Amino acid sequence: MSANVYLPKLAKVISVKEEVGGVRSIKTFRTQFLDGGFTHKCGQCAMLSIFGKGESMISISSSPLVKDYLQFSILKMGRVTSAIHDLEVGNIIGIRGPYGNAFPIESWKGKNILFAGGGIGLAPIWSVLQTTLLLKKDYGGLTLIYGARTSPDIVFKEELADLKSKMTVHLSIDVAEPDWKEFVGFVAQNILDKKPSPENSIAITCGPPIMIKTCIKALSEIGFKDEQIYTTVENKMKCGIGKCGRCNIGRHYVCKDGPVYSWAELRQLPQEY
Amino acid sequence: MVKHEDVRAEAKKLLESGKVKYIIAYELGADGWKANPVFIKKPEDVDKIIWGPTCYHNLVRFVVDEKRRKAQQKNPDTRPVGVVVKGCDSRAIVILLQEKFIDRKDVHIIGVSCETTGVIDERKLAKKLKGRIAKAIEFGSDENFLITTDSGTVNLPASEIMADRCLECIAHVPVITDVLFGEKTKRTVPQPFGSVEKIENLSSEDRWKFWNEQLEKCVRCYACRSVCPMCYCDECVADTITFAVSPDTTAEEKAQKIKWLDKSPVISENIFYHMVRAIHLAGRCIDCGECERACPVNIPLRMLNKKLEKEAKLLFGYDVGFDPEKPALISCFRDEDPEDFIR
Amino acid sequence: MDKILAKKDFPRWLEALGAYDVYAPQLIDDVWNYELAADPKAVSLDYPQTAIPAKKIVFPQREFFFEFREADTDGYELKELLPEGKPAVIFGVRPCEGKAVTLTDLVFGGEIRDDYYWKRRNAAVLVGLACASPPSTNCFCLSVNGSPHSKEGLDVLMTDLGDQYFVETLTDKGKKLVSEGGAIFHEAKPADKKAAEKIHADSEKKLARELKNIKDVPAKLRGMFASPFWDDESMSCIRCGICTYLCPTCHCFDINDEVESQTPLAGRRVRTWDTCQFPDFTMHSSGHNPRPDKAARLRQRINHKFQYFVEVWQNYQCTGCGRCITLCPVGIDIIKVVEKVRDHVS
Repeated sequence: MSANVYLPKLAKVISVKEEVGGVRSIKTFRTQFLDGGFTHKCGQCAMLSIFGKGESMISISSSPLVKDYLQFSILKMGRVTSAIHDLEVGNIIGIRGPYGNAFPIESWKGKNILFAGGGIGLAPIWSVLQTTLLLKKDYGGLTLIYGARTSPDIVFKEELADLKSKMTVHLSIDVAEPDWKEFVGFVAQNILDKKPSPENSIAITCGPPIMIKTCIKALSEIGFKDEQIYTTVENKMKCGIGKCGRCNIGRHYVCKDGPVYSWAELRQLPQEY
Repeated sequence: MVKHEDVRAEAKKLLESGKVKYIIAYELGADGWKANPVFIKKPEDVDKIIWGPTCYHNLVRFVVDEKRRKAQQKNPDTRPVGVVVKGCDSRAIVILLQEKFIDRKDVHIIGVSCETTGVIDERKLAKKLKGRIAKAIEFGSDENFLITTDSGTVNLPASEIMADRCLECIAHVPVITDVLFGEKTKRTVPQPFGSVEKIENLSSEDRWKFWNEQLEKCVRCYACRSVCPMCYCDECVADTITFAVSPDTTAEEKAQKIKWLDKSPVISENIFYHMVRAIHLAGRCIDCGECERACPVNIPLRMLNKKLEKEAKLLFGYDVGFDPEKPALISCFRDEDPEDFIR
Repeated sequence: MDKILAKKDFPRWLEALGAYDVYAPQLIDDVWNYELAADPKAVSLDYPQTAIPAKKIVFPQREFFFEFREADTDGYELKELLPEGKPAVIFGVRPCEGKAVTLTDLVFGGEIRDDYYWKRRNAAVLVGLACASPPSTNCFCLSVNGSPHSKEGLDVLMTDLGDQYFVETLTDKGKKLVSEGGAIFHEAKPADKKAAEKIHADSEKKLARELKNIKDVPAKLRGMFASPFWDDESMSCIRCGICTYLCPTCHCFDINDEVESQTPLAGRRVRTWDTCQFPDFTMHSSGHNPRPDKAARLRQRINHKFQYFVEVWQNYQCTGCGRCITLCPVGIDIIKVVEKVRDHVS
């Protein structure tokens, strides 16, 4: 008898880390199921329940190869995410999932992978980045081009420092700061500056909508075809399983048929997101 | 008698001269007998305009939409919109002017007098027709309506099928216009608040029981609020289906925004919603009756608002929606206002 | 197995259904709706169309998912609140509403099943009533692959033969329901079947409205996404929820937590109907709204019903009941809109 799909499983918060402080605060949470749980694929999301407040659909940032916990990085935006930000280690939340489709990483074996993210957009692609890193021998060159508005807005600061020894990492911030030695400008501009080769490559881009648009344009300019570019889309969601009718883009429900799309697929849908 | 041709000629003149952006008027719907709102932008389309006993919509509601539309545009066309109004509708314009929601120059008011009758109530008509299907309806002579059905014509006395609010109408001739069609007839209404008094005369238990039964039926479709020209708040306190959020709204503000009502259509929430809406319309509701007409489950909504219109008259001697120069009821006071509720 | 039920015996059938919650159309304050039939003798199937369709029985406007309560162990206690109680039987269901339920079945079924919907749906018995004449002046079921005597989604189909009903049982649930009536049913004679068939055939000629030649509308809609057509068509829309709440095929819903106690924190997660026509339906927490205006929302409603649903399920998400036309306060007419799409020249 399969479980009721609307009933969350209880999970405990085992760590809370502030990535970015201030008004647009981002925190990373790790959770452990009290009983049972699920395994996920890269790109999938879960509905986090704060009982009494509601649910929020968040990308699972940890790699599926990590079995001890699920990791979520959440930008404080509204009612439910503010309640999530108030969580402390030991608090109990509900989690249901995994929802959505996954990055087709099996078909990417042997290819070079470019990760292009901005701001909180690194979180949805973090799971696929970590997974390909763990399975490094199956993939070609791994490159990350990531930027944020200011250096305090960069997420996963320590992890990024560590990442530099394992793969090519190009960081950027929008406006110059005194101690900033790397690229100054938008992520799309950094892509044009670093010109990663589209040869035998896949590019995954994620971030605020405007950044996704400019990055896709930049990637196309340097020779990436529509089928080579992937992104994740977000929309307001409630059920997470393609029934409440809220998150559709054309005939697709982002919670079920997405959130992972190649640009070739996405441009076929009505541009209503 | 108001003639379509006269209204159409005026509309054509306005559009050809470019004096108005477009005209909000009534046209015949697909069924050929009921009117619907129409937006006439080109002079060649003025022949769509009609006037008849099914022109019950309050078109001032679309004047509110026009203001919202202008607010979204960078360089809006500041010409007025033409709007066809009945007496009740014109009082809505008075309210919008009193509240400075619109300027006088935003509307070109094409007034139509209801003369000796008014508009029909579809449900009353259906009951009279007993299964016969209406195909056309016109103002007849001698305060009758002439109805063509699928099995012959019927002459019905207006008093039998007119909307309740027309039976209690105190403004059958528009109170503010740029042009007026139809005669300025004189009418007296013996009991302007008769329908309210019927409910007031029930015991408080019976009244509470009545309203509980009625508001149980509510499905919270918000048609009542959506159709009302005076419910123009971008964010409704009673229940928000629109939440004015900008990129600058902080997460805290969103998190702390009080949700006064649950979405569930249960009696507690339904009563709260309707009571709050009625109170927010005190001194503002002009009894166009649209809320009640739009309600798909036939809740006698105008009673709630009418009661407060009566209070405005009794307590403050205030006639709602007649004089645009007068301040809005709740934004003014007089020294002689009653104070017996202050203890 | 076809039966005959004398109209005077109809109340006896209802009286035999104590094991069910019996719903039938009732006139309350001049509005017909399916309500619990308190008095079997007062039930008449001689009625036009309900305001709220039969979907409300299998997909109610409000239902509970689960209870949550703060607890010392495990942080929270969750108690699933699946629908319980007697199975529902609904009398007088128009064929368009039966067909509509087969469409909501597609949405709530599939790989992931909605247990709340299916618990009600599997137990509910839909007793249809063939439309000898159109219940509404806006009926157009024939134009959207339906018919006034369609059996889709129904467990029983009753046809009014004057002083008796021709009763066709269509499913096992229907058979059981009829058997509860026992001896009040008689075997139908071939003449009865012929009479019913004649009523069915005649009923198809009586629909006042049609929506013709819409085969190419899905493709047409695909090309009209950016068209100013939607601005013009939606100008009179007042953005209420009538068209969607009262549509037999619409299924959008909201999920909210309703808190009943703060300490300890306790409440219920509740599902309620929602509508793509409300301005905030698609609004993100950030304030970004993919459908910020009425044009986008009207476009969504029409596209969902005549393009997206067709692409996924090969069915129009409209069964031609005409409620949205009859009850729209400003007369927005889906037949007219789709005709204009069909004939649109960009």
